[in-house]
Amino acid sequence: MRSETGFDPGLYARFPTQEPRPPEEEQELRRIWCAPKGWEYLTVVNNNYVGIYYLGTAFLFFLLAGVLALLMRVQLAAPLVDILPQATYNQVFTMHGTVMMFLFAVPAVEAAGVLLLPQMLAARDLPFPRLSAYAFWAYAVGGLCFFASLFVGLAPDGGWFMYPPLTSKAYSPGINTDFWLLGIGFIEISAIAGAIEIIVGVLRTRAPGMSLDKMPIFAWSMLVFAVMIVIAFPSVILGTLLLEIERAFNWPFFDATRGGDPMLWQHLFWFFGHPEVYIIFLPAAGLMSMIVPTIAQTELVGYRLIVLAMIATGFISFGVWAHHMFTTGMPAMTTGFFSAASMAVSVPAGIQVFSWIGTLAAGKPRFNAPGLFVMGSIVIFVTGGLTGVMVALVPFDWQAHDSYFIVAHLHYVLMGGMVFPLFAAFYYWTPMVSRRALSERLAKWVFALMFVGMNVAFMPMHLAGLMGMPRRVYTYLPGNGWDLPNLISTLGAFMLAAGIVLFLIDLARNFRLAPAEGNAGNIYRAGSLEWLPTELYSTRSIPVVKSREPLWDDPGISDDVEQGRYFLPRSATGLRETIVTSPLLAEPQYLQIMPGPSVWPFAAAIFTAGFFLALTVQAYAFGLTSGVLAVIAVLRWMWETDRPVDMEGVDIGADIRVPTYMTGPRSHGWWAMIILLIVLGMIFVMALFGNAFLWSNQITFWQAPPVFGNALPILGLEAMGVAVALAARRILSRSVTMSLGALIVAAAALIAALLLDHRQWQLTGLLPDMSGQGASLFALLALQATVLAIAVLMAGYTIVRAINGLVTRPANNTVDLTALFLTYAGGQGFAGTIVPRLLDVV
Amino acid sequence: MRFTGGMIGSMAVLLTGCDAAALRPAAADGAAIARGREAAVRLGCGACHVLPGVDWPRGRVGPALSEMGDRALIAGRLPNRPDILAHFVRDAPALLPGSAMPALPMRDRDATDIAAWLGSLHAD
Amino acid sequence: MQTDGPLHHDADLARVLDGWPPPVLDPAGPYSEPITVLAWALLIGGTLVLALVLVALGVALFGSGRTKARLGGEKAIWIFGVACPVVVLTGLLVWGLTLTSHLSAGLPTGKEMRVRVIGEMWWWRVHYLDAVGRETVRDANELHIPTGIPVLLELQSADVIHSFWVPRLGGKMDMVPGRTNRLLIQADRPGIYKGQCAEYCGGPHALMGFIVIAHDPADFARWRASRRPAPIAGDLVARGARLFDTVGCAACHTVRGTPADGMAGPDLTHVGSRGTIGAGILPNNAGTLAGWIADSQAIKPGNRMPPYRQLSADDLRALTAYMASRR
Repeated sequence: MRSETGFDPGLYARFPTQEPRPPEEEQELRRIWCAPKGWEYLTVVNNNYVGIYYLGTAFLFFLLAGVLALLMRVQLAAPLVDILPQATYNQVFTMHGTVMMFLFAVPAVEAAGVLLLPQMLAARDLPFPRLSAYAFWAYAVGGLCFFASLFVGLAPDGGWFMYPPLTSKAYSPGINTDFWLLGIGFIEISAIAGAIEIIVGVLRTRAPGMSLDKMPIFAWSMLVFAVMIVIAFPSVILGTLLLEIERAFNWPFFDATRGGDPMLWQHLFWFFGHPEVYIIFLPAAGLMSMIVPTIAQTELVGYRLIVLAMIATGFISFGVWAHHMFTTGMPAMTTGFFSAASMAVSVPAGIQVFSWIGTLAAGKPRFNAPGLFVMGSIVIFVTGGLTGVMVALVPFDWQAHDSYFIVAHLHYVLMGGMVFPLFAAFYYWTPMVSRRALSERLAKWVFALMFVGMNVAFMPMHLAGLMGMPRRVYTYLPGNGWDLPNLISTLGAFMLAAGIVLFLIDLARNFRLAPAEGNAGNIYRAGSLEWLPTELYSTRSIPVVKSREPLWDDPGISDDVEQGRYFLPRSATGLRETIVTSPLLAEPQYLQIMPGPSVWPFAAAIFTAGFFLALTVQAYAFGLTSGVLAVIAVLRWMWETDRPVDMEGVDIGADIRVPTYMTGPRSHGWWAMIILLIVLGMIFVMALFGNAFLWSNQITFWQAPPVFGNALPILGLEAMGVAVALAARRILSRSVTMSLGALIVAAAALIAALLLDHRQWQLTGLLPDMSGQGASLFALLALQATVLAIAVLMAGYTIVRAINGLVTRPANNTVDLTALFLTYAGGQGFAGTIVPRLLDVV
Repeated sequence: MRFTGGMIGSMAVLLTGCDAAALRPAAADGAAIARGREAAVRLGCGACHVLPGVDWPRGRVGPALSEMGDRALIAGRLPNRPDILAHFVRDAPALLPGSAMPALPMRDRDATDIAAWLGSLHAD
Repeated sequence: MQTDGPLHHDADLARVLDGWPPPVLDPAGPYSEPITVLAWALLIGGTLVLALVLVALGVALFGSGRTKARLGGEKAIWIFGVACPVVVLTGLLVWGLTLTSHLSAGLPTGKEMRVRVIGEMWWWRVHYLDAVGRETVRDANELHIPTGIPVLLELQSADVIHSFWVPRLGGKMDMVPGRTNRLLIQADRPGIYKGQCAEYCGGPHALMGFIVIAHDPADFARWRASRRPAPIAGDLVARGARLFDTVGCAACHTVRGTPADGMAGPDLTHVGSRGTIGAGILPNNAGTLAGWIADSQAIKPGNRMPPYRQLSADDLRALTAYMASRR
């Protein structure tokens, strides 16, 4: 057997161990991972709680946005109904889309990841529990405040896609639009935080022996999901930032009359917006691929094909964004490329569908609650996929685009691709988190109402679209034949809603949260690790994984795990901990000590939400205070982390010893930082794209950049910053002071470079509110300034830690990460100095 | 998509002549009332008047017509008789100079139907 | 608008069926016809594929024996999930690309009529152009075209993004600020074709309609020749014309041949001859004109024209008569 890290896989043969474990070990684990009481429910960080909070909140938003949908369906039941006035309707449809996409779909699948991944991977928790807690609270508090804007008539009304110039200050002077732009701000932060958590969790905290090819398919889907978030979200983060800056400071990024371009927004938005659909679909497909084998009681047919299909989906989905823009007058060549990619992306979807059908065929499918939803999902999703192929054809899209045909298409895709799988998952995993399973008898009714209701509601919309009914209309005139299809749609919507109400009743009767006191158990006879007996510390011991369905292949595994016969049957350090394993073969590398409950992530989330909301209502002083407090709270929570314990190595079972502290590229913190830097890098790349896009589309507004030769001193300073920052890591083994000094010098060099760069542009006479060029150029400088401000903050934090004796030699994560960040900042500065100078007037 | 009946109708009536003698309403029957409502919607009376049971438009220029059948007078001046009402809806300024309501070219049958419908509108 | 119960009579039934056949499937010219053929192929093909998947699912769930066993392996995934889609999609892609270039090719040919249409919140400015692109006639919310020749539309926007869509004559095309997008439409038969803004543009986007009126070439020539300002005849109309300039109408509207030259709202030189009022939403007659002038907000909430409730009855009637006479 080959080895990835030098770990001897032969050691796995020592498990399951034979000698009995002392009973105090289990008591100790219970004490360390104890359940919260009273107010402590706000400070929990354990994924068993945060996952449930997260999923519950996401489901709440699903219900709220669903109610909005019903309101719209009443308004559209007949022509010229006057139940929702025009302005209200425009807010309601905007909120329906926004809430469903940003506050329900993405958080719901992220929540499923937080809840299920540690169990499936047999980790004690995700690697950054406090980050999960922060991500959840920021989302919950911010999301609820954002939703409440509807009750005061201040909800955004520009559509969930927020196209300028309709959303620019000139045509949307109210703060409604700002609610969207800033409200989405913390959803973005929370999604990125979750993505970092999930990537590191999936790649570094799997049970020993769980090589990538043995990983549960859901973990694969979450990995692709998280990588896609990292690539896609920066685009919308930048977009919202630029639009908010345009609104607040009059920088004309999207104003065609001043050298901006509304199409820039569409590119930025859909570069995120279309992958977003797969970001939602893939995890749900992962859930399906977990449930289907259990329904059929046989292993998944085409595991490798599914993995490949998911990765392919991830790649291709970044080449399809412009199919939302076929009617904007793009050249036929361009539309051809995006048309081909949009069709190609249906192939991996087809692979997954036929894998599920194949698995059902290979086994003996059971018609239980998850089974019904899985089957319904396949039918609905295939229907949506087929209409998707139709609209991928450019000429057909010229007719279908922005008509009710698209409304039908997208609801088939999202209901079949996400909502039905999620309901299957609710039924399937409820026995894992609840003492009682949900009712199988009611489930048949829930399914029937939802399935029939869904089809009755959305099938007629295809027709309404072909009859010429455009989307996003608050009413319509009689005489177009739209009356009947709309009436039927409304009836269907209420049928669908009735199914969901019935589900809620079932939930109220049978769902009893049980992280601490046993669950209903493996009633569907599944084979994956999340069905091992667990308590709040997850499994008593962490098994060696030898196959994809360990519970089917090793009937004794549950007992062995519960008796502590595998890895880490105790707390080795008396603290919360999990095993960090290698990314490919999952060989044990070191023991990660995890932070416990804390009020600071909660506080940081409250202040983050406060910051964004205060900016929205233009309470700048309050917003600034909140922002500062949020930063302080984050630093305070970080303060307790990165503390080596006084143990060189510990026994994690069967005399296998691993270290308790790791620095450099093998540490989980390093991985997280690299991912964060990729996010920042993507934001900056998108900003460079914006600059270049305006140059190629609005060249008449362009003026000459500074002479390129003058940039040499700037580039020199930046190169120096990078070199010194890299050196700071190495110097640490000799002297803490010198290392910190190097960090300061690096930061100073980069700041000097930025000031010089700014000065050179200023001398050309360019101003940010003068033209699209000015706006996009000064946006680049502002991004560089922001990154440098964070770097300075990190350096300051490192210095304070050093003064408190927390910077350990010879290597230390806090120093490593600060140096890494500064290195990145230098690289970003380099690109920001060069690219805009190359875009000369022709 | 065919063009709405409403538009073609309204264009057609522009061409038809006006013959006062034809405006003798028959006894209001259900069919005439239904046709009258349809004609009122088709001609866009809602642009100035709230029409009962019609959600849009709900014009605020002239009076609401919800209880027209109960009124003693038309526009506060003329006796509310079906034949007078039929004249009035078609050519208000001829009967009441100074009224803001313009002469509306429409077919004879539309005028009598609308009068029949208006006459049938009572408070519940 | 009829919300009081089920269909009681033929007129209601006719109204419900008014949209039949669906305009996307009822093409009236060479720029919509091939799309309809494609649409039918897609709808039928899509239904067949869905049926195939349902059969496969049925076999997986209820089948037995060899068929079911064959379905339960990776080979089936390669055949149904990879090979079949790739073949079908490649064919469709070729069709789609060919049709795309065919429909957007040949701009401009020199034989076509040219019209500039500018989207406004929430109506349409229409400028008829001559062969070299100079404006000849200005109108609004209504597009007159001759049958049998292509009409090249130069689509622009004055404010936010709109989208021009007449399903029976062609696909839709966005009107993007700062750009001019071109779209070809053609009607082969005389008639009235409905259109509507398809890109959400805020406020009363739902009520931003228009009509295309196709005339046979002789009729079109007559219509074109009639596009000169109507004389102001009669006391009432003359009074309306004076009021138009004094009460504020002229600040936003142009009536050619008079001092009124406002640019914010639609050109009203020929408003009396239009089929609709309020951008394709209400029939145009003296009554609806009066209602619109006095209080357009009740008809199209959110539109840019303020209510004129201060007009006396006589003034309103005079203005209405003046507007109705602008034919």
